[in-house]
Amino acid sequence: MTARQQHALLALTHVSRVHGTGATEVRALRDVSFEVAPGELVALMGPSGSGKSTLLHVAGGLDQPTGGSVAVDGTDLSSLGQAERARLRRTTIGYVFQDFNLIPALTAEENVALPGELHGLRSGEAREAARAALAELGVADLADRFPDDLSGGQQQRVAIARAVAGERRLILADEPTGALDTSTGEQILRLLRERCDAGAAGVLVTHEARHAAWADRVVFLRDGVVVDEADAGLTGLAGMTGAR
Amino acid sequence: MGAWLRGWRPLLRLAWRDVRRARARSALVLALVALPVLAVTTALVLTATADVTGDEAPERRLGAADARIRVEGLARVGQTADPDRGSAFGEGLRDDLTLAGVGDVLGREVRGIEWESTELSVLVDGRGVRAAGEWIDLRDPLTTGLATLDEGRLPEAPGEVMVNRALADRGPGVGETLTLVDGSTLEVVGVGEDAESRAFPHLWSPQRPDGVPEAQGTTWLVEAGPVTWDEVRALNDRGAFVLSRAVLADPPSAAELHPEVSDGEADDALVAAVVLIVVMVLIEVVLLAGPAFAVTARRQARTLALMAAVGATPAQARRAVLAVAVVLGGLAAVGGVVLGIGLAAALLPFLARWSGSYPGPFDVPWALVLGVACCGLLAALLAAAAPAWLASRADVVAVLAGRRGDAAPSRRSPVLGLLLFAAGVALAVAGTRQDSYGENWVALAAVVCVLGMVLLVPVVLGLLARLGARLPLPLRYAVRDAVRHRTRTVPAVAAVAATVCGVVALGISTSSDAAQSRETYTPQLRHGEAVLVASEATPEQWERAEEVLRAELPEADVSVVTGVPAPTGEGDVHVAYRPPATSEDTWLLGGVGSTLGTTDVVAERIPAALRGLDAAGRARGDAALAQGRVVVFTDEPVEADRVVVTATSYDGRSGEEEVLADEVTLPAAYVVVAEDGGTPFAVLPPASAEELGLPVATTSLHVAGAELDRDRERAVSEAVAATLPWSHLYVERGYFADDFDELVAWVLGALGAVLMVGGTLTVTLLALSDARPDLATLSAVGASPRTRRAVAASYALVVGGTGAVLGALVGFVPGVAAAVTLTRDSYAGPQQVVGPFVEVPWLMIAVVVLLLPLLTAGVVALATRSQLPLVARVD
Ligand SMILES: Nc1ncnc2c1ncn2[C@@H]1O[C@H](COP(=O)(O)OP(=O)(O)O)[C@@H](O)[C@H]1O
Ligand SMILES: [Mg+2]
Repeated sequence: MTARQQHALLALTHVSRVHGTGATEVRALRDVSFEVAPGELVALMGPSGSGKSTLLHVAGGLDQPTGGSVAVDGTDLSSLGQAERARLRRTTIGYVFQDFNLIPALTAEENVALPGELHGLRSGEAREAARAALAELGVADLADRFPDDLSGGQQQRVAIARAVAGERRLILADEPTGALDTSTGEQILRLLRERCDAGAAGVLVTHEARHAAWADRVVFLRDGVVVDEADAGLTGLAGMTGAR
Repeated sequence: MGAWLRGWRPLLRLAWRDVRRARARSALVLALVALPVLAVTTALVLTATADVTGDEAPERRLGAADARIRVEGLARVGQTADPDRGSAFGEGLRDDLTLAGVGDVLGREVRGIEWESTELSVLVDGRGVRAAGEWIDLRDPLTTGLATLDEGRLPEAPGEVMVNRALADRGPGVGETLTLVDGSTLEVVGVGEDAESRAFPHLWSPQRPDGVPEAQGTTWLVEAGPVTWDEVRALNDRGAFVLSRAVLADPPSAAELHPEVSDGEADDALVAAVVLIVVMVLIEVVLLAGPAFAVTARRQARTLALMAAVGATPAQARRAVLAVAVVLGGLAAVGGVVLGIGLAAALLPFLARWSGSYPGPFDVPWALVLGVACCGLLAALLAAAAPAWLASRADVVAVLAGRRGDAAPSRRSPVLGLLLFAAGVALAVAGTRQDSYGENWVALAAVVCVLGMVLLVPVVLGLLARLGARLPLPLRYAVRDAVRHRTRTVPAVAAVAATVCGVVALGISTSSDAAQSRETYTPQLRHGEAVLVASEATPEQWERAEEVLRAELPEADVSVVTGVPAPTGEGDVHVAYRPPATSEDTWLLGGVGSTLGTTDVVAERIPAALRGLDAAGRARGDAALAQGRVVVFTDEPVEADRVVVTATSYDGRSGEEEVLADEVTLPAAYVVVAEDGGTPFAVLPPASAEELGLPVATTSLHVAGAELDRDRERAVSEAVAATLPWSHLYVERGYFADDFDELVAWVLGALGAVLMVGGTLTVTLLALSDARPDLATLSAVGASPRTRRAVAASYALVVGGTGAVLGALVGFVPGVAAAVTLTRDSYAGPQQVVGPFVEVPWLMIAVVVLLLPLLTAGVVALATRSQLPLVARVD
């Protein structure tokens, strides 16, 4: 567990998120604290409605916590403006969602190049980085296809390519395998694991214990509260599957 | 800058793909923006082409000459490069500039030919027809380009004539004889066309026939080498207007012009009207295209949220929606301009045939066309602005979770709307208080009111939704849905409201204007009667005209009115009447009429044609005339039995004045007449007229008891014109609306209806396609197709009805203000100010507010019936 001793890439401290007020108040997250270090893949588990997606949104700056603080790569997100948080998502943080990951009007390559282009890179530069990322994930041949012409697994690979293209070091994946069959799901998880082994930090939301086996550590959420944090017991399983 | 532009690239690419995917929606926006651009471009190109200005086709007016010089000789003159388009007279001058004199001014030898133009009357089938006579020798090479010969040969000798097709078709052809009204004849040797106009009868002969009166001034076509602007100025100082080929090609700057001359181009009122129309069209296009962009933004919501997740800033999300507007607006602007120019080119031959004149070389006013294209692009951008702004404020997390991410409605905009509306009302009220240009204030008020109204639409919809709880399901559903989808409903309702507002405002102002004309109309004669007046006619001509009238109108009572002839260019006799012991500037009548061709009738009885006096007054007048008294008409009773008369004659040629009668006192009777009677000053017994030394002649022929419809009026006019060329037959028909005004009103009304129905339909179909999932849910819970149809119709009813009611209410503000401004100063007879007139066209408003929304709802219900076919196509 050398990874944990390193300086954390994502650090949530006493984070809470309350939706609405009064009778309609929903406390999606309550006093959640945990850290993810570079090279580490953390699995986030819990029943539906337990606050997993909310946590990911807060971690990526898409949503603001109502209490506590979120730091990415040592920077407190609350000290950043909306534009700077967006900038962080273009450069440091990558999201992978369950479905609707890709913009249907853009080709695979354009989807992957989009953050770079939005960042103001030259089109050629952004596309080069995009092709490199696609090649790393083994889908270079899909570059010119539109999402509608791709299978779910292929789409998810492209989405991961987009999440890691450039120098992105924090990957936030919200049930990336939810819409895939088992073997394709396994492949996607393997890719995530590889990215983390290459130095990225990852948070993987899943509700399947099998998938958690790919993680270094598992955080359990229930009703917005961290109920358990396990880094042992499942490690052997992870090592076993990782060795396959 | 480079990075900023680079930032747009992926957004434009995305927009381009979206435009291609959503074909129907894109086509809708394209049409909305491109059609006005196309129409305006076509109109601009056609007017610019029809308008032969500057150095376009100079040969049509100059032939092959270097200049056309026209000498009036009465004053120094000033002119623009084109004296036909702007000239002025300076101080007096008595100078008879000759062709040799022109040579002296230019300091070189000039060759020239004289060119006289006069209007004349020719006889066609015994009727008089006006024609333009050009007295010039077309064989001279200097005239090349003025006219073309199509048949026969050019006239060579005096007495030979070439006529144009318009005249040849009505009268004699080649080899036949053309008769003028004075009985003289010309031999037609050729048929040709004038280079400028062909609708009006035209004829050419080397020399003016003797019977045709001489033209004022002299015109030459000269060959003198290029005539410069300085030379033009020098000739101006000698009283000559110069149309110089060299100056047309290289016109002087505005600073070089004579201070009193203007091109008449910068007409403030016209500019204001054009600006107003442009603003209104822009608002209308923006409002109609708005819903389409709202749906675009909604369809893009997922994409925008994903973009936010990968790091797009809110500004970039906003630009992503605007990029669609850039693509569609750009395409529409370019397409509209290209198609507009093409359409203009295609229409040109028809226009030429219809207008009877020759268009100039094809002329695209690029600066204006570019402006129109920019307006198109601007309209698209403005239409997308609100949806783009809302899209950038959407809740990304909610959208990603599959929920709607609508931002909360603004609390500030209704307040701003109220303020704007109040400002509009204030402007309208202020406009009615202005002495001049009040219409411009009211027009501005209309725009401000409409803008305020747009911001108030959400409030109105909100109120409606609150009331909606009691409505039947389809209506309730439609209202709720409309309110929930503000971004697409608000511009739709606003578009309909703006249209209705314009229609109602125009309706009120035009019908009030018509009411004013009707109420203040002053008949010249009793209804159905007619009067024939003519200037410079001889007694024999009058006699013949009387015979013609009796022959053409056997059932009519024709009576001769005699009096002191009305003023002509030759001279004028002025007679003033006042009661004894009153000052010289006493006016007995507030308004005097010369309907009978004179203001001083000379007769033994009060002419039957005079209206405005009752039977008792007439009897008193007749009795007075029988006693040899002068009958003097007055507004107020006058206690006197004598009148002081002063008569002066003025010679128009020599400019000399002669007093014919100086303060001569005569026995008189004062007869009170109605204020709007249009009566002459007095009726003098012939003996008195003679005593005063007044010239007496026939001044008009009065016709009573004849059925004169328009065809018969024309036939009689032409028959009379054969003997009295400069005559006019006036038939009293009472007040009737101007045909053109009525046509304009109809066209505007129809346009308004089309815009309103079109707007409602467009928005309803967009809304229904957007609401398809909800409708599917409705079906899933067991709603019958009938319910679905009712929901669709209700939607149209909500959009159309709310817009119509709101627009009609708002339209009253500028409508009433315009009516007051336009009709405030109305004179029903002298000094009597009535008005303002405000007449509300309730029927039209009822049609717009009640009938059209119901009609649209019906159409939608029918269209929805079978599997939502229309809806399915608009995505
Ligand atoms: N915008 C919102 N308004 C109100 N409640 C919300 C909102 N977003 C999420 N919630 C609630 O927060 C809780 C956590 O949701 P979520 O993070 O999506 O759970 P998970 O992803 O674990 O299924 C749920 O009870 C959900 O209903
Ligand atoms: Mg979730």
